[in-house]
Amino acid sequence: MPLYKAPLRDMQFVLKDLLKAEDHYASLQGREEVTPDLMDAILTEGAKFAEEVLAPLNQVGDQQGCTWSEDGVTTPEGFKEAYDQYREAGWTSMSARSEFGGQGLPPSMGLLLSDMIGGANWSWSMYPGLSGSAARVLEVYGNEMQQERYLPKMTEGSWMGTMCLTEPHAGSDVGLSRTKASNNGDGTYNITGTKIFISSGDHDMTENIIHLVLARVEGAPEGTKGISLFLVPKFIAHEDGSLGDRNGVTCGSIEHKMGIKGSATAVLNFDAATGYLIGEENQGLTYMFLMMNTARMGTAMQGLSLGQLAYQGGLEYARERLQMRSLSGPKNPDGPADPIIVHPDVRRMLLTQKALTEGSRAFLYWILMLVDQASHGETEEIQKEADELLHLLTPIAKAFVTETGLEVANYGMQIYGGHGYIGEWGMEQIVRDLRISTLYEGTTGIQALDLLGRKIMGTGGKALMGLTKRIHKFCEAQAGNAAMEEFVAPLAQLNKEWGEITMQIGEKAMQNPDEVGAASVDYLMYSGYIAIAFMWAQMVELAAGGSEGDAFMASKVKTARFYFQRILPRTESHKLSMLSGADNLMALDVDEFAF
Amino acid sequence: MPEYKAPLRDMQFVLHDVFQAETLWSELGLEDVNRELADAILDEAAKISQNLMSPLNRSGDEQGVSWNDTVVTTPDGFPAAYRELAEGGWGALAGDPEYGGQVIPKMLVLLFEEMSYGANMALGLYLSLTSGAALAIASHASEELKSRYLPDMYAGNWAGSMCLTEAHAGTDLGIIRTKAEPQADGSYSITGNKIFITGGEHDLTENIIHLVLAKLPDAPAGSKGISLFLVPKFHVNDDGSLGERNEVSCGSVEHKMGIHASATCVLNFDGAKGYLVGELNRGLAAMFTMMNYERLSVGVQGLGLSSASYQSALDYAQERLQGRSPAGPENRDGPADSLMVHPDVRRMLLTQKAYVEAGRAFAVFVGQQLDTAKFGSGEAQQRSAGLVELLTPIAKAFLTDKGLEATIIGQQVFGGHGYVREWGMEQLVRDTRIAQIYEGANGIQALDLMGRKIASNGGQNMAVLIQEMRDFAAAAEGEIAEFTQPLLDAVTELETLTATVLSAAGDDPHAIGAASVEYLHIAGLTIYAYMWARMAGVALAADQNDAFYAGKLHTARFFMQRLLPQVKSLAESVRAGSAVLMDIPVEAF
Ligand SMILES: Cc1cc2nc3c(=O)[nH]c(=O)nc-3n(C[C@H](O)[C@H](O)[C@H](O)COP(=O)(O)OP(=O)(O)OC[C@H]3O[C@@H](n4cnc5c(N)ncnc54)[C@H](O)[C@@H]3O)c2cc1C
Ligand SMILES: Cc1cc2nc3c(=O)[nH]c(=O)nc-3n(C[C@H](O)[C@H](O)[C@H](O)COP(=O)(O)OP(=O)(O)OC[C@H]3O[C@@H](n4cnc5c(N)ncnc54)[C@H](O)[C@@H]3O)c2cc1C
Repeated sequence: MPLYKAPLRDMQFVLKDLLKAEDHYASLQGREEVTPDLMDAILTEGAKFAEEVLAPLNQVGDQQGCTWSEDGVTTPEGFKEAYDQYREAGWTSMSARSEFGGQGLPPSMGLLLSDMIGGANWSWSMYPGLSGSAARVLEVYGNEMQQERYLPKMTEGSWMGTMCLTEPHAGSDVGLSRTKASNNGDGTYNITGTKIFISSGDHDMTENIIHLVLARVEGAPEGTKGISLFLVPKFIAHEDGSLGDRNGVTCGSIEHKMGIKGSATAVLNFDAATGYLIGEENQGLTYMFLMMNTARMGTAMQGLSLGQLAYQGGLEYARERLQMRSLSGPKNPDGPADPIIVHPDVRRMLLTQKALTEGSRAFLYWILMLVDQASHGETEEIQKEADELLHLLTPIAKAFVTETGLEVANYGMQIYGGHGYIGEWGMEQIVRDLRISTLYEGTTGIQALDLLGRKIMGTGGKALMGLTKRIHKFCEAQAGNAAMEEFVAPLAQLNKEWGEITMQIGEKAMQNPDEVGAASVDYLMYSGYIAIAFMWAQMVELAAGGSEGDAFMASKVKTARFYFQRILPRTESHKLSMLSGADNLMALDVDEFAF
Repeated sequence: MPEYKAPLRDMQFVLHDVFQAETLWSELGLEDVNRELADAILDEAAKISQNLMSPLNRSGDEQGVSWNDTVVTTPDGFPAAYRELAEGGWGALAGDPEYGGQVIPKMLVLLFEEMSYGANMALGLYLSLTSGAALAIASHASEELKSRYLPDMYAGNWAGSMCLTEAHAGTDLGIIRTKAEPQADGSYSITGNKIFITGGEHDLTENIIHLVLAKLPDAPAGSKGISLFLVPKFHVNDDGSLGERNEVSCGSVEHKMGIHASATCVLNFDGAKGYLVGELNRGLAAMFTMMNYERLSVGVQGLGLSSASYQSALDYAQERLQGRSPAGPENRDGPADSLMVHPDVRRMLLTQKAYVEAGRAFAVFVGQQLDTAKFGSGEAQQRSAGLVELLTPIAKAFLTDKGLEATIIGQQVFGGHGYVREWGMEQLVRDTRIAQIYEGANGIQALDLMGRKIASNGGQNMAVLIQEMRDFAAAAEGEIAEFTQPLLDAVTELETLTATVLSAAGDDPHAIGAASVEYLHIAGLTIYAYMWARMAGVALAADQNDAFYAGKLHTARFFMQRLLPQVKSLAESVRAGSAVLMDIPVEAF
């Protein structure tokens, strides 16, 4: 079983060298400063916790899974103890606002931590992860009573939160949700309905669970405009924060899933449960959406961190497993065979893992900096610019990094040969756990529509221009740098093509409303490959200036070369596919799909 | 839970309309096999896969096999179902008639296999392993062994297993350690440990016949010193009755990602009595002669499971109401439109359909070559034998790679429900995944293709295939140009790349390994384009008001416009050469 090792060197490289994190953190307003020492301490301590406490529970969690009984859900052995340790160490409060007992560090810090704890044990990390999202919603939109009564406990971690959107007939289309809220006239509402697929919907890790529930107030408009957000505690809190009555929300069952078995996915039945309106009526989706970027980045992290684990596992095995000889002569003449890392095809798999994982790390960490800047940037202008980019990049990050993460995880299995298929080696679990990431928090298809429909067409291409200009500037600045030519030339060319293709699709979309959906997933993947190329080009620039003989830096240049020569060409087929138009999808009558 | 429906219409279309199987069979002298018989077999196969095998698929996955002190128990219902399959003769479709086998062409057998895997891969595997072992015995064993073992294997009373892999030797069989000591009575005493043996132990049959690779004490090192032995679980007396238990036992079963109902066994041979099959030190060669059949069959696993996945996804997409059509509501009275209105859902479904149907045609095409190579004569026979060599690794790897892709898409169409066990879509992914690994990992297939099947004969067989595709395109006229033109472009790319890599291989030992997987995919996509062009040709000549044919044309168009372009990207990766892979020192990873 591959035991997770936090990739500290790469994390530091990306944060410090590439993203100039010191300057970044020094510049933020309204948050506690992350000094270089503090950042190092958080990364080192986080790595230790992930490696020592969480990684050993990863396989156990998969094998035991969660169990359901009338009395509630039991999490796998060790999960609660690990959580207690986590909470006591103060990790739950890191990015929380100081008014409610938080440490007030910028939002990026929580997500950086999730790269490590998620890689070590994704199922476990979902509990605090979702709870954090729920707490952020309350921090921003909750009223005083809600904040004072619920936030301190959530911040210190003794209560956890959930997000309850999905219903059996309403997933992507939240507007169809039917859960009802009737106003009791005393500031409370009665919530009635059924939610499904609710992560951490019930468990034994904390004494109370705070559900954030989307529901429809009686008489509200149909569709997405009539949805409100409610706080529905499992146990109603007294004014002093002590636990009161059990509320009318129960867990009807949990799902048996392909993976993330340590994470409880609950059916929740609300039976006239007491709920408190958050913000105003009918504004529920707006509040949810404002938090969505962070939640999506959290899911993007799953692609990265489990991809990292699959790469680590693959690499370790490829160095040890002896099988066949190198075709350029034995490399391990005293052994019965050579380690499989001598074979070009094994290297192809490993380098695909490495190039996608490290490229994605740079990409996602960059976006984390934008998350900070969007709310805490020095000037309004910085905030605005960051916010625009963030909106554009988030769906790409979520869908691209999880889709390619799945590829990376599958290579991890493939490198193990038959052993990859066997549970005890741990590689197939990575594939099973990672597989959810292209489905929840909005499927890949939905992210792609968001990108091309709302973020690109919706801004008349303006948001994209902001990005292509940046890339253009970078490329221009490299003019005459011969060492960079092999990277800058293809990047500049694709960057130009990106804008042109976008125009073409935009024109077609004006004629035919199906064109956006027909191009969207290819467009998103195409965009992702260019974004990662941009990151690799910037990393090469740094590495080229690094000290001679540093294997880490040297490997960056070579991995970038691999990426540009063997992965980036994928843009070509995505381009041809998306430009082929909607007709080859829409022309079929439904019965022509027959077999 | 998805219920498997055999895609009979498409199977008949491929067999009869695209490949004119009846004509071929009569040319090959298989007088007893005609269209009527073929359709009857397909009908029966459909029934047995739908009614007997499919209902045990989910329960088999949940229950799995269990091991207790060397005894392996299969899931509820499996022993009875296996008996019924055996009594129906499904294990002996392509057997030696002298010992009770039937002479059914592979073109047809593989369609039964597709159904059996699509309905219940784990159960289907027990049958396939038995056919595989029987084939090796029929091809290489002595008369004495054949008459003692084959009739009961064909009758389904005994099952078979193939024992190659050891803990330290998977791809590299040359380093196996299992020993065979010659005994005075002409038999051998076999000692060693095998792992990952499918059907190595179970409760489906009263006896299991293991085919085991082992080395004599004085055998040459490496793969040239491997011999093949028949090792029965129970000895067989001269009168055919079962004798004593042999010294082979199951040490444990693996807990796996999927095919839970298939027993994957550690087998311990402890001085077990074995009988030589074929010649000494020629064991690998003997295994390889049956490998072409087995590899195609593994490819068909990818096909069968993706077809099952497509069926369920298509049903679900029609029933699930979510969102509105971008072009305005289509189901005004309902709360939302069906998923079928969304372009991206159609993209997913068409990707599945395009891969599944081209894959089916391709498998039958390979089956046709196998049949011609086996039953044919003269030049045609030789040509097909060459094509079989070339096409087998492509069929194994490409069908299973596309199998994973298609089953993942099927899961995606189900949204969150695709991740939940009871819906069955995730099981298809877990079950398909093994097919990329066993029977030679797909990376090894790609090396086999470029190294042994192409480079070692200067690309001769590939040239034959390329010529066939060009001839087809040249002979076709009219509307079909829409499909033959992209085919021709892909063929040209394939031809150019073949030459490029072969010439690079002259002085770069890594050139082939660096190009092989992408090259195999380019070949696979080009062949799929050929299959789609052929199917489009038939559809163009048929009644366009029939949704089946109209759907074929649309899908062919979709394939050419949206999937075939992958050739361009893959070709560029191949051109990158090997340096970009090999230049990195091991420490720098
Ligand atoms: C393990 C797990 C944990 C989860 N955790 C939570 C949670 O904590 N809280 C919560 O509220 N939910 C949760 N979910 C639910 C998850 O967010 C939904 O499953 C997801 O949003 C997709 O919705 P759906 O399953 O209904 O799929 P559907 O919406 O039915 O989608 C099915 C398919 O149709 C496509 N599709 C749908 N509409 C369109 C369109 N307009 N255009 C193009 N394509 C479209 C989708 O891309 C998808 O491929 C979880 C789900 C799982 C499996
Ligand atoms: C469920 C299951 C059922 C099985 N059933 C059977 C059975 O019935 N009988 C049986 O004998 N075996 C069986 N196997 C074993 C299976 O055939 C082997 O696992 C497979 O051949 C790969 O061998 P390996 O696992 O040792 O992988 P390895 O040989 O260790 O390969 C590991 C990786 O290295 C790559 N690699 C190795 N050598 C090279 C090279 N020279 N060049 C490039 N890449 C290379 C491979 O492609 C692979 O990705 C089964 C396995 C499983 C998991």
